[in-house]
Amino acid sequence: MFSTILIANRGEIAVRIARACKELGIHTVAVYSEADRHALHTQVADEAVLIGGPQPGESYLNIERVIAAAKETDAEAIHPGYGFLSENAEFAEAVQAAGLTFIGPPPSAIRAMGDKAESKLRMQRAGLPIIPGAQNLNSDSDFVAAARAMGFPLLIKASAGGGGKGMRTVTEAGDLLEELEAARRVALSAFGDDRLLLEKYIEAAQHIEFQVFGDQHGHLVHLFERECSVQRRHQKIIEETPSPLLTPELREKMGQAAVIAAGVVGYYNAGTVEFLVDPATSQFYFLEMNARLQVEHAVTELLTGLDLVQWQIRIAAGERFPFQQEDVTRRGHAIECRIYAEDPASGFLPSTGGLLQLLEPRGPGIRLDSGVAAGGEVSHYYDPLLAKLIVHAEDRSSAIRRIQAALRDYVVHGVVTNIDFLQDVLADPDFQDGSVSTGWVESLFEWRPSAVPADALIAAAVAELNALSSGSQLAGAAETDPFSPWKSAKGFRN
Amino acid sequence: MSRLLFGDAPVEITSSGRAYSVSLDDRLGQVELVEADQGRMLLLIDGRRVVAYVSPDGSSVWVTTGGRTFRLKKSITAARSAASHDASSELAAPMPGQVRAVNVNAGDAVTKGQVLMVLEAMKMEIRLHAPFDGQISSVEAGVGQTVEREQLLIRLHRRDS
Repeated sequence: MFSTILIANRGEIAVRIARACKELGIHTVAVYSEADRHALHTQVADEAVLIGGPQPGESYLNIERVIAAAKETDAEAIHPGYGFLSENAEFAEAVQAAGLTFIGPPPSAIRAMGDKAESKLRMQRAGLPIIPGAQNLNSDSDFVAAARAMGFPLLIKASAGGGGKGMRTVTEAGDLLEELEAARRVALSAFGDDRLLLEKYIEAAQHIEFQVFGDQHGHLVHLFERECSVQRRHQKIIEETPSPLLTPELREKMGQAAVIAAGVVGYYNAGTVEFLVDPATSQFYFLEMNARLQVEHAVTELLTGLDLVQWQIRIAAGERFPFQQEDVTRRGHAIECRIYAEDPASGFLPSTGGLLQLLEPRGPGIRLDSGVAAGGEVSHYYDPLLAKLIVHAEDRSSAIRRIQAALRDYVVHGVVTNIDFLQDVLADPDFQDGSVSTGWVESLFEWRPSAVPADALIAAAVAELNALSSGSQLAGAAETDPFSPWKSAKGFRN
Repeated sequence: MSRLLFGDAPVEITSSGRAYSVSLDDRLGQVELVEADQGRMLLLIDGRRVVAYVSPDGSSVWVTTGGRTFRLKKSITAARSAASHDASSELAAPMPGQVRAVNVNAGDAVTKGQVLMVLEAMKMEIRLHAPFDGQISSVEAGVGQTVEREQLLIRLHRRDS
């Protein structure tokens, strides 16, 4: 087993990995950028190394600096978390070339799954159902001909991409060339590769993914599914397991397909195989494989009782994964809500600022993976994910009630969050039925912030007067009327 | 009585000690502040227990109550409804304290923003500014005098009116 691990990430996932290391008795090294000097992840690790400027390219994406930090601190392995360098095959190779262990899949598997067009063809050859589409198109006329043959609506995707970047829906032939051009621009800037592919657009599809786990000795299992259909801008905000729509038969078929997909590329460690399911036909299609730990891994942990991050570390150290497929069991229901610093009332724009007040929920069956602390700063440099709230309960409706109650106890002041939005999604009959598809948030769910209740106005008014009389700066800090009679409440000097 | 504006919602509030009368949408409520600690307040609103979390943030205030969070814009902060925009105005003490300085006399012409009186309360110095260009009608408190919250200190009226 390793004695020191460097965590090449920030935020809640860096905190979560540090916790797993602590339980395994492993010394942890955090890395941080100049914008993260006081960030929570630097405080929970045993050591912290400054690796560069606030821009990700200067720090968290800087392969040389990350590896140098590992060398300086005598780390033997690097955990990349998710995002940043986690699916970068060159990084994984550089880590190995430096004589360190990369906690994740083999670089060859990252590379094989990283090219979406290539991986689709590979999965098709392995017998997996793939979404009808066209790859390896070159000229505009190739695209037009392929699109005509497929019919509309269709989806344009970046061949090298993932995470919804460069993805565009085209509903009529007339828009095709324009959308291709736009997708090329995004793909080139995001991935340095402007190759595109076309896919049939499946309306009202569900996004269901399977967690797979394998060791370096050829043993590979799946750890059941996660339903991730509540999305905005192709990014997930609520995930749960089990999926309210999978039948036992479909679960078994998809689980087997996931294990085949991982096996084809010689996968080991934690990975996720994503599928689209057409609820009208119960047909499922291989979408892509994410060669890393997912944000939403915690719902699987609560359902199966396995600590995925600890197993990632143990497998990277060469241990065998001791569970056969039939040994992996699940109990109850788990739901996760992603708590984002973003404003649902203005197109989910990220919100930045200092955290003036932060009260996090607790209670039976409630887990909070948080990356921030009161007094901390949410900057514009990084992903606005503050924390993940995850609950486990006996069944789906109890889990929904539990996470609703937990969200009511969650107080975040200083940045706008999506907490109230999540509450309204959870309360919606479509969500309660389990019939939400990936386009639901944007096309069917209409959201408006609730009107300010009298209690809130009264509390604000009392606080305002009370602050004046107790001498705090409540009224003095930034008044709109500079000549309001008690503008200059200044600290008294004596 | 103070008239506060959060967004476009006017709230009129009068206090005596820990009890407040609040008028909102033409409805009057009785509020008691039971306790306030580090941004958490326990209120009795017409006898009903309400827990609220409040964080001032410059010209906004964050309020969480009933599991929902609101960021309220303070359109006018602690301005007096006793008509600071009317032709005449009365300036009262925003909190109990002692008068440290009186800078004007009855009949003086003053300009908007000028410091008329300085109070000391809870180790804070509070300056009362002229809300508009005008003339002092009367000064109701002298240096060294202890004043109660809401006690009338200065009357003034707009110039040319």
